Amino acid sequence: MKKYALYPGCVMPTEQYAYELSIRETFPLLDIELVDLEGFSCCGEPMKSVNQLMTLYLSARNLAIGEKQDIDLFVPCPMCHLALSECKHVMENNVEMRDRVNGMLVSEDLQYKGSVDIVNTVDLLHDHIGVDQIEKHVRKPLDGLKIATHYGCHLIRPSEIGRPVDSENPQKMETVLKILGAEPLDYAEKLDCCGAPILANLPESALTKTGQKLQRVQEQGFDVFVDVCPWCHRMFDSKQVKAGETVASKLEVPVVYLTQLLGLAFGVKKEKLGLDLNLSPVDKLKIGD
Amino acid sequence: MSIVDLTSMGESQAELREEINDRLSRLQDEVSDYCFQCAKCTSGCEAHKLLELEPHKVVALLKRGLIDELVNSDVIWTCMSCFKCRERCPQKKVAPVDILFALKNMAVASGKQIPGKYTGMLQSILSIGLIQETQSVITRDNKTNKREDLGLPAISKPVDAAKFQMVLSKLAVEKV
Ligand code: SF4
Ligand code: SF4
Repeated sequence: MKKYALYPGCVMPTEQYAYELSIRETFPLLDIELVDLEGFSCCGEPMKSVNQLMTLYLSARNLAIGEKQDIDLFVPCPMCHLALSECKHVMENNVEMRDRVNGMLVSEDLQYKGSVDIVNTVDLLHDHIGVDQIEKHVRKPLDGLKIATHYGCHLIRPSEIGRPVDSENPQKMETVLKILGAEPLDYAEKLDCCGAPILANLPESALTKTGQKLQRVQEQGFDVFVDVCPWCHRMFDSKQVKAGETVASKLEVPVVYLTQLLGLAFGVKKEKLGLDLNLSPVDKLKIGD
Repeated sequence: MSIVDLTSMGESQAELREEINDRLSRLQDEVSDYCFQCAKCTSGCEAHKLLELEPHKVVALLKRGLIDELVNSDVIWTCMSCFKCRERCPQKKVAPVDILFALKNMAVASGKQIPGKYTGMLQSILSIGLIQETQSVITRDNKTNKREDLGLPAISKPVDAAKFQMVLSKLAVEKV
């Protein structure tokens, strides 16, 4: 059994509870032990437009908390995963910056040394656990379910600092979904952004991006839209009705987290996966229980 | 201390501006050497069609040193940080998205108003370490749920809030 500290970030533990519930429910079934640590803060990525050094400091701080307990971090949010990856990259390549940030970390009795690894939902499932292991747990295969995947920009780019999936043709979620019996299919808009990063200052435009992508997904007849990012999911699921209004279209696309589908395929009860918290029409799916 | 107080502290902001200026000069040298204005960045830009952001023009303006014009323009705040421009630039040294981050940082350090909900998020990080407090959410059949109702453990946040705030507000003032 491999142990990880669950680094929750901000959006998942303050409102995207379905992601956290389904993570806590499914990973232990796959021999992953999740540990909760005290003291984490925002990863800093949401503040990058305001103050990039703050982003770096906050990321280093969270990595240092993991180091203090000598435990690798499971980082389900792609935005946090990017911030922490970029921080590792900077700290490894810029000694001056590393000394400066470490100087700031002293007051909380923390130090960044670079000794912990981080994993995201997708590489944890695909690379570390592996599809052979996942297949052993499938009780209720998702037979023939036509799936559109959405990875989220921050999980796929920039490849230069190391991302868990291919930057132009990500397929790891597809590989996992096929093992669950589903039928993931590529579509032209697969790499399009959800709009979330400008929700803070240009909400109408942000929702238009969401609406445009979902409209195309709906037109192409997919059964379900699967994501792994709490920021993206907030747009596609929680705000789907509003997003539809921006493109003058009635959107009825079931949107679920990958970990929720995984749980359903493993035969976990819907309530335990937080499926009643999805605001998109997931009842259309007729799977589970 | 609120963010409004923080960003109006002119003296320390000068140091900060100097630092961002250095960053922008480095970026300017890079784009001058490498960007050949092919506009591939703009062709795939997520904010292009909807909000008329043209990253290759941002690069061209930086090349000419028109930093104030850029800092004062609203268009820099339309970038969705999708990183497609950085990923796809045939000249790997050029990253319009990073230029845009530096320009936005400069706008904030110059005391320009921080747009939208950024101020609220920053204030929340300073006080509780996270961009927002835990929210009540509704289910599809309209029941309200709090984090604790769902059997989730207590949320992780900075243990010694005073120490956390001290470093962070120093950072917000001096070295954004
Ligand atoms: S930044 Fe790169 S992609 Fe954009 S115009 Fe310059 S060389 Fe072309
Ligand atoms: S990161 Fe910003 S500038 Fe670059 S392609 Fe995306 S939206 Fe356009």
